[in-house]
Amino acid sequence: MNELTLMGDYEKFKRGMEVFLKRPDISVGTTPSEIVYTEDKMKLLHYIPTVEKPHPVPILIVYALVNRHYILDLQPDKSVIKKLLEEGFDVYIIDWGYPSGADRYLTLDDYVNGYIDNAVDKVRERSGLDKITLLGVCQGGTFSVMYAALHPEKVKNLVTLVTPVHFDTDKGLLHIWAKALDVDKIVDYYGIVPGDFLNVGFLLTDPFRTMIDKYVGLFERIECEPGDKECEVRNEETVRNFLRMEKWIFDSPDQAGEAYRQFQKDCYQKNLLIKNKMVIGGKTIHLKNITMPLLNVMAEFDHLVPNDASKPLGDAVSSKEKATLVFPTGHIGIFVGSKSQKEVCPKIAAWLKPKSLLDRAGEKKPVQENASQKGKRRESKPKKRDGKAR
Amino acid sequence: MEKSSSESTFESTQEFFDLWVKTYQANLGRLVEMPAMGPAREKSEKMMMGFSNFVNLYTAWMESNSDLQIVFKEAMQKVREKTATDMKGDLSPESYKDFYKIWMETYSETFHEFLKSGHFANDLGKFMSRLMEFQKLNREVIEENYLKPMNLPTKTEIDEINKELYSLRKTVKKLTSQVSELSKKK
Repeated sequence: MNELTLMGDYEKFKRGMEVFLKRPDISVGTTPSEIVYTEDKMKLLHYIPTVEKPHPVPILIVYALVNRHYILDLQPDKSVIKKLLEEGFDVYIIDWGYPSGADRYLTLDDYVNGYIDNAVDKVRERSGLDKITLLGVCQGGTFSVMYAALHPEKVKNLVTLVTPVHFDTDKGLLHIWAKALDVDKIVDYYGIVPGDFLNVGFLLTDPFRTMIDKYVGLFERIECEPGDKECEVRNEETVRNFLRMEKWIFDSPDQAGEAYRQFQKDCYQKNLLIKNKMVIGGKTIHLKNITMPLLNVMAEFDHLVPNDASKPLGDAVSSKEKATLVFPTGHIGIFVGSKSQKEVCPKIAAWLKPKSLLDRAGEKKPVQENASQKGKRRESKPKKRDGKAR
Repeated sequence: MEKSSSESTFESTQEFFDLWVKTYQANLGRLVEMPAMGPAREKSEKMMMGFSNFVNLYTAWMESNSDLQIVFKEAMQKVREKTATDMKGDLSPESYKDFYKIWMETYSETFHEFLKSGHFANDLGKFMSRLMEFQKLNREVIEENYLKPMNLPTKTEIDEINKELYSLRKTVKKLTSQVSELSKKK
């Protein structure tokens, strides 16, 4: 029996390697989109709606500066973006691009009051509405919270996904380690903080599983039915999805030094945001300014953003309508797990749909084509995006 | 209790290193940190500082390594105990999956405990600081002694340009926005 198991494992490894040798296509971010605004390295993407009449209030997704936004559209059958489009939403997302030396002096003010504000204005202009829905993910959620507090007049609904706001917790390793780092020395030396430096930190949170067990587990999932074509297709899909995730994990943009410095010091080390003491662009962020409906979504087993870091947001804001959703999954699983498609997206959609309608007839204003001239603007024809291209 | 050979070897290494550091600090360390003189004093003082920086980095690495070795040893000990009880000592090649499972779970749990301790955070913080100091000084030495004499641009100069570029970009955006506002008013 044991010898048979050994043979079976060898077969799995062999078949897995055969799929690797075929160099499978691992395109990511394949949901069709168009670029509707660019500013420096930032791009604002608009996904082509899949329903005839999308809900009037559009969603702008703000992703983190760490890693890439296409985790929300990683594979065609597990795509938060696709699911939101199917639910009838008009979806936009910010692609931050890859910062280089010229971006080392970008501050949080530039990101929040600059890029995000300009993207929001562009979406408002295109929809003809005064307010839109902001959906922030991870660090992008923290940015969205900052933005909503500074510009509440432009945000109709705020959805935060696995978003840290209370950083003084010992539940997550990143929160513990960040306090011990001399951020000034890191930024002063690197200028642009390498994405690989952050990646080492993420890998260290569970080194044996992320660097060994994950790869062993891949071959465990390979099926071995001789001559079974369907089984071969499943194997190919298993390898493809694994490689897509692998690509995303190690596709880590470098970080603009000054923004990184302030985020680490003011948030992770001093925990200023939740204390209403954080200052961006000369303005103090008061979370009580957040009065719009708030949906705070968390992953129960999140090892990067523990629930303790996300939960306090609900009590910190003034929103009359606020809800919290906790799903029994992890930080990444919330986007790509099977639960994401079956539960997470539908529940977010159910909360958001009634709030994505026009409040009154007078709310709609005419679209002004030249309203946003703050950055370089470019419209392009809808095209199919291939995440491989940088 | 008698020490195992691996334990005594590791402790001996640590003891030897501690002794080496103390000796270095009392002798060569003082010498290299002595103020330099003469026309090349600025350059040579910086180069000599490199010794101290390297020793600081190496010491931080040894301390982190020493703590990691202790955790590795603890994890290995636990695996040995678990295989004796859970697998009844059967370590034949056929039972490798059970062994792998025990190994993976034990190492992950043991290291997680260490990684969430303040001890590891301190080690990490200290090591990173020493590494950054070492790298920064290295860069300065390379700029001073190689790039500048060859009239090649340095990182410091490129950063100055980047800062200027950043400032100009901001100004252009602000002015463009103001022009846009004014043209709308017209």
